Order: sequence, then C-alpha cells, then structure tokens
Amino acid sequence: MNLIQFMGALEIGLLYGLVGIGVLLSFRILDFPDLTVDGSFPLGAAVCAILIVEDVNPWIATFCAILAGMAAGLTTAWISVRWNILNLLASILTMTALYSINLRIMGRSNIALLGEETIFRPLESSSYSLLYTKPIAMFVVAGVVLVLIYRFLSSEKGLAMRATGANPRMAKAQGIAINRQILFGISLSNGLVALAGALFAQGEGFADVTLGSGTIIVGLAAVIVGEAFFNPKVIFTALIACVVGSIFYRLTVAMALNAGFLGTQSSDLNLVTAILVGIAMITPKLRAKILDFKAARNSA
Amino acid sequence: MIRMTDLHVTFNRGTAMETKALRGVTLDIKKGDFVCVIGGNGAGKSTLLNALCGDVIPERGTISIDDRDVTALTSWQRAPFVARVFQDPMAGTCANLTIEENMALAMGRDEKRTLKSALNKEHREKFRSQLSRLKLGLENRLQDPIGMLSGGQRQAVSLIMAVLKPMKIIALDEHTAALDPKTAAFILELTREIVEETHLTALMVTHSMQQALELGNRTLMLHEGRVVFDVRDEARKGLTVADLLNLFHKASGLELDDDSMLLS
Repeated sequence: MNLIQFMGALEIGLLYGLVGIGVLLSFRILDFPDLTVDGSFPLGAAVCAILIVEDVNPWIATFCAILAGMAAGLTTAWISVRWNILNLLASILTMTALYSINLRIMGRSNIALLGEETIFRPLESSSYSLLYTKPIAMFVVAGVVLVLIYRFLSSEKGLAMRATGANPRMAKAQGIAINRQILFGISLSNGLVALAGALFAQGEGFADVTLGSGTIIVGLAAVIVGEAFFNPKVIFTALIACVVGSIFYRLTVAMALNAGFLGTQSSDLNLVTAILVGIAMITPKLRAKILDFKAARNSA
Repeated sequence: MIRMTDLHVTFNRGTAMETKALRGVTLDIKKGDFVCVIGGNGAGKSTLLNALCGDVIPERGTISIDDRDVTALTSWQRAPFVARVFQDPMAGTCANLTIEENMALAMGRDEKRTLKSALNKEHREKFRSQLSRLKLGLENRLQDPIGMLSGGQRQAVSLIMAVLKPMKIIALDEHTAALDPKTAAFILELTREIVEETHLTALMVTHSMQQALELGNRTLMLHEGRVVFDVRDEARKGLTVADLLNLFHKASGLELDDDSMLLS
C-alpha cells in the first residue's frame, strides 16, 4: 500500500466513521436494526449534489442533505412505531422506496461535481497538498460529530434514549415516551448517514444512485470491528471505537485488495468485507471460550 | 385518592384464549393507605396493578388519581405520580447503564428532560446519601454498571429510585418474589421504612398471606377478577391466615388452602 492509498483509506475510513456512529445509534443504542441507511447515504449524496449543481451554497446543500436523511429515518421509525411493523421490515420498505426517490431527485443515475463549488474547495487553494488536508478536514468533521453525539447521549434526553433501547418497560415506568425516542433517534441516525453521503459526494466529486449498496454492512463493520478491539463499557469509548473501527476496516480492506500474493482484485471487496466482519463477530465469542477453558483447567 | 370504578379488563378478546382478568373492580384507596393485594393465580392481582400504572387500558370503567381521570393516560404519562417496582429485579433497571445513570433516569421522571448533562455533582451527592442508607456499600460504586449487582441489590436500588422524586403512589408487583428469604426480608423492611417516611400510598401485590396481614393497613383479596373481601385497620388487627381463608370461604363459597395461593 502506498501513501496515496493509505491517506485515501484514512479519509474514507473517517467518513464512514459517521455511518458507524449512525449505525451505533440504531443497532446498539435503540436496538432497532435499521437498513434505511442503504438509502439515506445516497439520498444525502443526491440532495447535496443536485443542489450544488443548481448553484446552491455547498454548506446549505449539506444541511439540506442532513434534513433529507432525517426525514427518511423518521419515515422508517413512523412505519414501525405507528403501525407496529417489525423495525427491519419498515426499514427495508423505506430503503426500497429511496432508490426510486434518489433517481427522481437526481433526474439521472449519476451527477458529476467536478469543478463545482464544494465545502472542500477552500482546501484546494491552501499551500498544503489535498492528500493531507482532506483527511484532516474529515478528521475534524468526525471529531466534532463524535463530541456532539457524546454530549447528547450523556444529557438527560440522551439518557432517556439509551434507556429506551436497553429496557423499554423500565423507560416507560420512568416517564419516557419511548415512541418519540425511537422516532428522534432513528432520524438522528439517518441524518448522520446522509451527512456522510453529502461529504462523500463532495469529496469524491460525484453522486451515484448505486452509492448506497452495502452502506449498512460497512457501518456494522465499523461498529463490530471497533467493539472487537475496544470492548467498550462506556458510551465515549463506543463512539471512538466506531471511528477507529471504520478506519481499521478501510485499511485492512485496502491491504487485502492490494496483497499481490493473495491474488485478490477490487471486485473481491464484498467478500473481504464479509470475512472481516465475520472474524470481528467471532473473535469476542472465541475469547470468552478460551477464558472459560482456562478457568476450567485451573479449577480442575 | 385512587378511585377505580367498575374496571373490566379482558385479554385476547374474541379468541379461544379469552380471559376476563378483571370483572368489575371498584375500589377506593385513601391517601396514605398501604394496600396488600392477594389472590390465587389468575385472580387479577397483576392486572389491577398494571391498570393502575397504565400498562393495561381497561375496556370499561374509570381510574382517577386525586380526582383526575387518568383512565386514558399511558404508563409514561402516569409516571410523574405512580412509581413502580417490578417482580423481576432485572426489569426495573437498565443493566448496561451505571448505577448513577439509572438513578438519573428516575430523577427526570416528573420533569421535561433537557440537553443538560444528566449527571452533576449535586445529583451524585444525593444518590450517595440515598444509597448509603442501604448499607450495601453501593454509594461507592456509582459508576459500576447496575448489571453487576445482585437481584436483591437491584431491587433495593429500584426502591430508592422510586422515591428519589416526590411521588404519590408506589406500585409493588411481588417485588420480593424472586429473592431468597433473607434478601426478601431486607427488601420488605426497606419498603416499610420508605413508605412510612414518604407517606406514600402503596399498592403491593403479594403471594404470601402472612405478608399481606403484616404489612400495611389494608388487605384486599381478589378472586376471578372480583374483590372478594377487603379488610382494613381495626378489623384487620389480630387476623390470622386461617381467618383469611375463612373469610374467603364465606365470601366466595369456595374452599381454598394456603398452599394453592403460595404455589403458583
């Protein structure tokens, strides 16, 4: 792996760290498996790209992308909560609908942003190479989001959200309207994912309707790889683990795809991803088994 | 202060599994009453409690608390005035949140939750002083996940959480049933102390007739969704378990032995 590939993996890793935090909110904190993200990531990219092409300020375009993502999340949560539809199915419904909606928004399957005004544009005029400035900009964004989400989750409102996922019955008994928590939490999660989509479109210079496929597995990879490494007990570590997990995942994939001796090629990406996530999921169980085995041997 | 009028609750209506859990319960509970509810399996004890807490919405009848009709309020809307402790020690707290986070959740019960940090020095002081009365050393373990505590310890914390904020009613759903006898006695004593101190109105479901006579000032027996007898204060003094069984026999015309109540 050369420096360009390394910095690229770092940049994309940080960007998908946002997706990881979104997935952490839905899967882990609210215990709401949400596949909407496969639609809200390209939704964010689409909304942002079309607005930028229409000469809207890129910051406003990014903000609109977040709002669109939140609306998508709200739809999923509403279907699930209001009509008592299994959360996974509700999210599949929204995800499916979003594919068409994204095509409608863009008017075509692909929009190029080359030469357009983006939030990364000012970096181009700096005397430092984009090779370094873009990952640093992404690091700042991921850092700010992480701190904001951390502050939220340790607030009174955030604690109510965590209780909703951990023990809904107890949460209700403590006066928490759990339905509202789910509506807001899933919106927030998809807003973050759409933000990632908008940043992706601006950073990579294009939006494509197929961008979203596999977003959920990449987000899960960030969460699960991070958990395998950090074994987080508190919420702050869990958030850090998401971002670090995402970077690690990107680096591993980049290495695996570049390892000449393995004979891999770039089309093997999904296979490599599945194997990596599989290993990350099995590792904690294996660790527990080995500890059990050792304890049994010691007591014998 | 609590008035239930002609409550009817049916589960699985219109199916082969249809069960009439409550068939017209009318009950008037005065402020400061400590009511022990007994009855066999399926008598409707837990349903009565769930109806009071809002987990079950009756198809007929009304419930009012302090002259306010709460029949249509959800459980979370009733939380500002009804606290509850569940039978399952795992149910009343969030295992993966810390002791202080669980207690902070209870602090927000009667007010709007804000974006302010859920924990601060003042809260922690309060939690420590409340926990220290338990003499379990929990005041030094505020940052431990509550899942690391034993069932009895968790139940004790649940009780403390119930009265962190001024409360009107405490609903106890066989909250000692899942504990060993020694721990159960400790939790029961704690319940007695807390209810006395805070002048709460309490409704406690229990399987033990002995408990139902010793605790509180009023004993209520349900059978097949109806109140079969209701003894209080002076009339209750000196009653024994045998007397209760007699009362039940007179009221319902059925024989019942103590075991059939305990074993369920």
